[in-house]
Amino acid sequence: MTTDPKPNRREFIRNISSAGAGLILAINLPRSGRAFSAAPAKEFAPSAYLSISPDNKITIWVTRSEMGQGVRTALPMMIADELEADWKTIVLKQASSGGKFAGIRLRTSGSGSIYGTWTPLRTAGAAARTMLKRAAASRWRVPEERLRAENGRIVDKETGMRLTYGELCEEAAGLPVPENPKLKSPSEFRYIGKRVLRVDSPDIVTGRAIFGQDLSVPGMKHAVIEHAPRFGGKPLKWNEEQVLAIPGVRTVVPVTLGIKQGIAVVADTLWTAMKARDELKVSWEYGTDAEFSTDAYRTSLQEALKGTGYRTREEGDPDTALRNSRKTLSAVYEYPFQSHSPLETMNCIARFDKDLCEVWSGTQTPDVASILISRQFGFPEDKITVHTPLIGGGFGRRLFADQILETVEIANSAGVPVKVFWTRADDTRDGFFQPFSICEMKASVEDGSVKAVTHRTASSDHSMSGPPLKDLKRYIDLLAPWGAYDSPYLIPAYRAEYFHIDAPVPTGPWRAVWYPQNVFARECFLDEIAAELGKDPLEFRMELLDGPDLDLNGTIIRRKALRNVLKLAAAKAGWGSPTGARRGRGIACNIYRGASLMAQIAEVSVNGKNEIKVDRIVCAVECGQVVNPLGLEGQIESGIVWGLSAALKGEITFKNGAAEQSSYGDFDVLRMNEMPVVEVFTVPSTERPQGIGEPPVVPVAPAVSNAVFAATGKRLRKLPLRL
Amino acid sequence: MKTVSITVNGWKHNVEAPGDTPLLWIIRDHLGLTGTKYGCGVGICGACTIHEKGEAVRSCQISALEADGSEFTTIEGLSKNGDHPCQKAWIEEDVSQCGFCQPGMIMTAAALLETNKKPDDNAIDDAMSASVCRCGTYFRMRKAIKRASEVMSK
Ligand code: FES
Ligand code: FES
Repeated sequence: MTTDPKPNRREFIRNISSAGAGLILAINLPRSGRAFSAAPAKEFAPSAYLSISPDNKITIWVTRSEMGQGVRTALPMMIADELEADWKTIVLKQASSGGKFAGIRLRTSGSGSIYGTWTPLRTAGAAARTMLKRAAASRWRVPEERLRAENGRIVDKETGMRLTYGELCEEAAGLPVPENPKLKSPSEFRYIGKRVLRVDSPDIVTGRAIFGQDLSVPGMKHAVIEHAPRFGGKPLKWNEEQVLAIPGVRTVVPVTLGIKQGIAVVADTLWTAMKARDELKVSWEYGTDAEFSTDAYRTSLQEALKGTGYRTREEGDPDTALRNSRKTLSAVYEYPFQSHSPLETMNCIARFDKDLCEVWSGTQTPDVASILISRQFGFPEDKITVHTPLIGGGFGRRLFADQILETVEIANSAGVPVKVFWTRADDTRDGFFQPFSICEMKASVEDGSVKAVTHRTASSDHSMSGPPLKDLKRYIDLLAPWGAYDSPYLIPAYRAEYFHIDAPVPTGPWRAVWYPQNVFARECFLDEIAAELGKDPLEFRMELLDGPDLDLNGTIIRRKALRNVLKLAAAKAGWGSPTGARRGRGIACNIYRGASLMAQIAEVSVNGKNEIKVDRIVCAVECGQVVNPLGLEGQIESGIVWGLSAALKGEITFKNGAAEQSSYGDFDVLRMNEMPVVEVFTVPSTERPQGIGEPPVVPVAPAVSNAVFAATGKRLRKLPLRL
Repeated sequence: MKTVSITVNGWKHNVEAPGDTPLLWIIRDHLGLTGTKYGCGVGICGACTIHEKGEAVRSCQISALEADGSEFTTIEGLSKNGDHPCQKAWIEEDVSQCGFCQPGMIMTAAALLETNKKPDDNAIDDAMSASVCRCGTYFRMRKAIKRASEVMSK
């Protein structure tokens, strides 16, 4: 018995009763050429995002990767709303790279899925609705204004005549596509703003949902890779013959295109490949990177901070203010390397079929992966398709195509379709980590107020590819360091300064990218200043935000709006009410790249063994129009857990050029018994929606650390927080 | 190579595989039941949880030889129509995010509810805290377990 010979043909039909919608779900776009010309004759396909067939089937293509953030629910909601489609008649398909999606962004990053598709998807829906209306108007010879689109039909209000979209699709297909169709006003929304259940849930809870790990293609072999155990390792020789002699092993090949160089063992079954890798003996050649350790890196950051970095934001004269100040505060905050550790480890299938290269992988970036494959292998881009199944967690890790390139490399040299699989240890040791960083904070505090603050951050970059250009303009353009550069507070003299110190550790966007480390330092240090001044942490923030909005090269820092969000959180959390002994509340807030505004209040208790328990987190947010409140709340709960895992649990440390951790055993994450109550409150808005995947991570660690201070009087400046 | 005989979701299978193959891979690669997931392979994440005689066990920690002659239930066999109270509650509470941990979580919760129809928060913590959800769906998971418990204890 085997399974799943043709993953791209698998279709699932499920009913979602409780959502009031029976969605028909399909996985993977069937392989087709240019869909516009290849579409069946009578289909109405006014854009790449949707098509309607005469049997009244509406197909919506999802142009972002689903990794738990709910795009396969929220994106179709936006199209269906403008289209006035009947949710029950919708078929979902996942866009693959190339074909009709060539040139359309599929990359899923920066909490930008809803923000980035809000206009194009609604426009696509509205254009189709307008054309269907026009088609009906000309068929009935009545003025268009009289007609209404309603739940999959065009209705004539006066005569009561009605036609389904399917019945109109042939005529609509002959009409020009309007460029600026009239979009609905918020009061007309049918789905947007409603609590809609995740469309993939019925498949997930029955085990039918298909992730990359679950796919296979005919004739496929299984590969595991021994990546260099230490940074910079190159394989010199290995016991190929011995490993090849193991029954079921097909080939043993070097790999150069992954996160590190390595040796791949390709076998008939995954278990055989895994066992055979245990027998593989490789001698590696190493350089100085193989000596890298967190301890030595910490020292080099401390050294660097003695000099001058990239001063990306400077107001007033903080040096003079600090020099002449009667009272200065200084503190050093430290943030460790962190791993993404998604529950589904890296995996990928690649096969060459005549002149076609086909890939299946849980990737956040099928479009970029195609380009990289094309460049690397000299393969024409239109002959490459990257399919994206459901993803068992991305969090930024899957923005890199390392697992895809190494799989294509192995499939190419092995001459058979290959599935690469990473074990948990592979995945923990080799990732694109959140960089280790040190923030050095200084303040001048005089006459009952804060006169100057400097926020100096040293870390390695979040470089996506190649060595980054190091210059001031680049870091200003990047708003670096996030959280220090765009600090919302009104302080007479202020400086944000960044020190880029190279490390051989691959680093990359980890949920919330650059904010967590800097906002941890900023919001905790603000508490330290408030304590020094004898002010309430909330009141102190309100004072420092009492001013006009700030324009930082186009990034608008909305101070008054942030005050409202803080007020909302404080009211809901009962800020100021007694907490009892060894219990405390802490507050922190942030504006995410000038967009989503958020405040969190953490309530913690500390037991006799000095263990920190987070009991409750109240989160207030303003992020524009909420498309799916159920999804938004889920993302906030999820982001808070992510932040708590970093605040309380794991860290990655390096020694001798290698991570010292290898699983959830030594890089632990939050568990059920540590889960606080989470309450989410949204400031109503009909503005363009802003991102919500990452922002909730940011205030967690400082809110908790500030709460620990309130509970115990002890100031914790290093993650994971330990008393 | 060994031939082992195991019963999964009521179907008996004879499988040829090395005796040390973890049951997880027998289920996934030999039987094609991919609802049971690999998350760690070392018994600490719970993604591979299945039932043996109604009890939650981690299939990555059972070898083919040890499994020989036994009966198991996977997520695919938990209910006929995907309507086990946990499955329904999971949908209604909108628990899943990426969904990768959820089959294991549901199997763990379903086993808990078999022995304890009305688990309190401590009992839920005890049963669930050895499992990992990296997306952090614990808050809703707890609600879903309580919802399922309501239905099951009626
Ligand atoms: S895969 Fe078995 S416990 Fe993690
Ligand atoms: S839902 Fe993603 S790991 Fe639990």
